[in-house]
Amino acid sequence: MSANTNSPINLSSFPRPIIHIDCDAFFTSVEQALHPELKGKPVVTGKERGIVACASYEAKALGVKRPMRLWEAKKHLPQLICLPSDYETYSLYSRRMFSIIREFTPDVEEYSIDEVFADLSGLRRVYRTGYCEIALKMKKTIQEQLGLTVSVGLSASKILAKIASKYKKPDGFTVLPANELHRFLPGISLDQVCGFGPNTVALLMKKGVHNVWDYVSRPELWAKQLLGKIGVELWHELRGESVYPIVTEEKTKYDSISKTKTFTPPSSDKDFLRAQLIRNTESAFIKLRRHKLRAKWVCIFLRGQDFRSWGTEAGLDRSTCSTLEIAPIVNQLFEKIFRENVLCRLTGIVLSEIEPDKTVQYSLFDDAPKLRSYSAINRVIDEVSELYGKHKLHLGTSLWLNQHKQHVSERGDLPERKMELMKGETFRQRLGIPIWQVTV
Amino acid sequence: MPKQIDFPSMISKLRLFHFKRRRLPSYSELQTLLGYKSKGGVSVLISHLIKRRLLQKDSAGKLAPGAELIGGLRLLGTVQAGFPSPAEEELLDTISLDEFLIKKPNATYIVKVSGDSMIEEGIKEGDLVLVERGRQPQSGDIVIAQVDGQWTMKYFEKKDGKVILRAANKKYPVIVPQRELVIGGVVVANVRKYK
Repeated sequence: MSANTNSPINLSSFPRPIIHIDCDAFFTSVEQALHPELKGKPVVTGKERGIVACASYEAKALGVKRPMRLWEAKKHLPQLICLPSDYETYSLYSRRMFSIIREFTPDVEEYSIDEVFADLSGLRRVYRTGYCEIALKMKKTIQEQLGLTVSVGLSASKILAKIASKYKKPDGFTVLPANELHRFLPGISLDQVCGFGPNTVALLMKKGVHNVWDYVSRPELWAKQLLGKIGVELWHELRGESVYPIVTEEKTKYDSISKTKTFTPPSSDKDFLRAQLIRNTESAFIKLRRHKLRAKWVCIFLRGQDFRSWGTEAGLDRSTCSTLEIAPIVNQLFEKIFRENVLCRLTGIVLSEIEPDKTVQYSLFDDAPKLRSYSAINRVIDEVSELYGKHKLHLGTSLWLNQHKQHVSERGDLPERKMELMKGETFRQRLGIPIWQVTV
Repeated sequence: MPKQIDFPSMISKLRLFHFKRRRLPSYSELQTLLGYKSKGGVSVLISHLIKRRLLQKDSAGKLAPGAELIGGLRLLGTVQAGFPSPAEEELLDTISLDEFLIKKPNATYIVKVSGDSMIEEGIKEGDLVLVERGRQPQSGDIVIAQVDGQWTMKYFEKKDGKVILRAANKKYPVIVPQRELVIGGVVVANVRKYK
């Protein structure tokens, strides 16, 4: 069926050396690095939301999965340590990791808070050693300076590098040279490829493709006819012919922007739910404006106790980035989807049909002076946020939020970092250096 | 609608240039650095930056770094008598307190001191020590270390090829690691904030 697994499809080992670095259980590993007493213990984060956001390897080994409700996990494993998420510290660690990798190469893509792609081309001359040694040195430096383990994959394309980094976790180091693919790929199942979803895998199985080697052994045209453009791109990537570039710029192009927030306990209070939704809207529009974008399509939804969501959507006459312009529309939509006496645990908004906020073309029926004053108000909102913090200036509707807390449950839902401020720090501004909680 | 100037990103580019090259960019360099089409646009921007005290013009009309650009403390030379002259001030390059205290920003952490084992070194309870991870300790350095399961801050010393940890407090005996010694980091600075 498949082609000869004895002959390599590539002659050189790294036509384009690409590394993927993935932190192991990032949030809990940061907590364990800063709180040595947590090392080797089952730890989860996400206490403030009542779900398991991240589980340490010790917790995973004992059967804790993500996403699980906390009480469920706790019942299963009474000695489980639950911590509130401390996103500020996680972001500091994330920035440090990016910065350490940038000391090696400027071609770094911040793929997510704990994942990085980097291109090592040309570094052999600088370090007078091979790509494997450079990759190993990057791994070692991160571990030394941050006290976290990472899993590293080195290969010839982004898709292959990601497969390699996932191959052994935690603390893995997998090198997959392009001229060794014929030995390695037959052992890789299709669902390990980032880009093949369950439906694609099922389709490929029907066509007699059972592993990645089967896939790349088929002709390019076959892949194109079956899966289209993405199929061809993956076909090349999986053969060690890099197609996807390393994107070094910060992401400013968005297909959609969404903001959701969970609250506990759940609520069926109309004013409170409306306030949550308006706050989501405000957050989404702040992000929209930060990237100088505007949106033409808006979708809102609520989520019930059973984790099922329902919602509605609307297109706008003209794309906008103004909170005041969208708020009445969101309010109307909310009236349509609100259900009396149904408890909700989350509200959310998704903005799509996004385009750069450049010139404004007023239509005949637009109230141009009003729109101009809206954009002035936006500017003030953003300037006040920059000086005094997000949502210091907000719509009256979201005042209802002050009547409830986001999460009303047992104490200690705030991360330690926000509870114990140092002299000169405020609740809003703290030193940008992680505090290592050792008692000395 | 007037074009909005993205000040934060411009300022960070300007700071980076100044930090790397130790000088300010010329008008034409600013033009390419910030993506302006004309020098006229650059000069408008500069007038804004002067207002924000990021830049200033010297007596010859040339650009000079403003007070907000570096954000560091002015180091005024050794004060002998009277006031330091402005000329002296010009001779010295300045660094921020951050750069002064921290060599490796990616590897430096804060540890709040809770005990009195380094009291004779002047490290009190409540002080914030800056600790660099991944640095090889030299004899005489102060280290944060885990000895036989216990975390501690001590002098790191080598005697006859053996490592011992010594407190700066006569109350505590010298520690000779029995089973294991993990060096967590080396103390590079101590910060005590009074107000």
